[in-house]
Amino acid sequence: MALPAVAIVVLLLGYPMGYAVYMSGYDWNDKLGTVHPFVGLQNYADLLGDQQVHAALARTLYFAAFTVLGGVVLAVLIAVLLNRRFAGRTVVRVLLLVPWAVPPVVNGIMWKLIFDGSSGIANTVLMGLGLTDSRVQWLADPTLTMNVLVFAEMWKLLPFLCLLMIAGLQGIPANVYKAARIDGASGWNQFLHITVPNLRGPIMFALIVQSMWSLKVFDTIYVLTGGSGGPAGGTTTINFLAYLTTFSNLDRGYGAALAISAMLLVFVVTLMWIALLGRRSGKDRS
Amino acid sequence: MAATTDASSTPVALTPVSVRGRRRRRRRAWGTVGHRALVVLLLVYLLAPFLWMLLYSVYPSSALQRTTPDLDPAGLTGASYGRLLSDGSFLRPMANSAIVGIATTVVCMVLGSACAYAIARFRFRGRQALLLGMLTVQAIPVIVLAVPLFILLRAFGLYDDLLGLVVTYTAFTLPLVVWMLVGFFEEVPPSLERAARIDGCSRLQILLRIAVPLAAPGMAATAILAFINSWSDFFLAKVLTSTAATTLPVKTAAFQGLFAMDYTSAATAGVITAIPVLVLALVAQKWIIHGLVEGAVKG
Repeated sequence: MALPAVAIVVLLLGYPMGYAVYMSGYDWNDKLGTVHPFVGLQNYADLLGDQQVHAALARTLYFAAFTVLGGVVLAVLIAVLLNRRFAGRTVVRVLLLVPWAVPPVVNGIMWKLIFDGSSGIANTVLMGLGLTDSRVQWLADPTLTMNVLVFAEMWKLLPFLCLLMIAGLQGIPANVYKAARIDGASGWNQFLHITVPNLRGPIMFALIVQSMWSLKVFDTIYVLTGGSGGPAGGTTTINFLAYLTTFSNLDRGYGAALAISAMLLVFVVTLMWIALLGRRSGKDRS
Repeated sequence: MAATTDASSTPVALTPVSVRGRRRRRRRAWGTVGHRALVVLLLVYLLAPFLWMLLYSVYPSSALQRTTPDLDPAGLTGASYGRLLSDGSFLRPMANSAIVGIATTVVCMVLGSACAYAIARFRFRGRQALLLGMLTVQAIPVIVLAVPLFILLRAFGLYDDLLGLVVTYTAFTLPLVVWMLVGFFEEVPPSLERAARIDGCSRLQILLRIAVPLAAPGMAATAILAFINSWSDFFLAKVLTSTAATTLPVKTAAFQGLFAMDYTSAATAGVITAIPVLVLALVAQKWIIHGLVEGAVKG
């Protein structure tokens, strides 16, 4: 019964995967001609010493660190905020699905409308509040653009993480908090010693899944920067560099090596989270 | 929130009870106000960006780009919706997205429920590995598979073809569908199925008459998720299609050039691209949240 589904996934993802590994072993540039000699691991050796790759890796890790860690911390805080009883709580929780459901391309357009240097509302508001005298060129400066990207992606990813944390909070019995209050534990201590430890499962899941997503972000970069990964390469992550190498430079071999490296990076980070957090939670359970 | 924490620590024992109670009440009142304010702030954060795009689609951009945006209802216009929705080069991608989305969802649900049911009910070798494999697919950047998929589809004459997109999306969406459905099927009590078996139902009958109806809300949510996934995809559609089979997100992204941008059209296309999935997500919100989250929290 499971066979048809498994067969489709394995064939349609497994074959291309193998083909990508195959391509990454060749000096294969469609711009330079139809001859592509086998070079073994040369492409991988090249990318280890490639300045462009180092910069892209740094940008990838910067983006991932802020979206993953920032996202999880904010999600826990928002979940605590929404876990209290108040009128309209259900409505607010449902509205969390709005950013989650907005397609990434639309997300890019939305923030482009807000952060556009000459006409965006962000500048109008900041100038109205007197925080800046001149228009900030959000999408013309490499560092600023990267931060706008983090901001834009955060909007879309936070709701899912929040829903995870809210579900986790609902699993904590109210009695535990009541007992802590009777023992005189402050709100902060309750948060630190009851809420956070009880959220370990959802937090670990969030760290893993969000790392996977953050490390392979693409659509938002594409739309926000008009497909350039700019300005001055400021938003070119490993994933995006693989795209530019493959589709702009037509360097299939090097592009494949980059893409596979990007994938290995995701696996390494995932295993890192499991090694860091998995063991500790296992100890607690026994 | 900081206000509620630091005040409670030191002088508690020395203060008379009545003062303490009053203080606590006052603190709680402040806490409630602060809490309300934070919730309102959160709501603005969640909704404002989308609403701003909505405004861009119905007002001339010049009105919104003033120092004080001019939201005079007299300036409202649906002209850009009229223009896009009567433009063949926009309607075609829209229809493509709908066809591909629905077809992918149907195929994923049929294949996915069989697979998920097997995983949920039978203990077989490699079951755990299979589930883990489904999650691993999430870790693969699409860029790795883009060129090989392009070559593969071209070889079968499926480049720039709706069928090619359906096949590709199915492969990428099935793991997620199976992952969610396993959770929903596991919630169906096995005792019911045992009873049906005693009454002489076949395996297939049990699946169709017992498991599927009981897991129906979850299956609906999963189907909606599958649809959202394929409807929202940008990268694969960009690489695997050119004109005939191009989809809405690709068309929408094209309004945003590297240097120039047609704000009104981009915003309108953005709203049109987002509305169907927003409506679906909100309609099935309860079950989507349940399906997305429960499995993760339990595991």
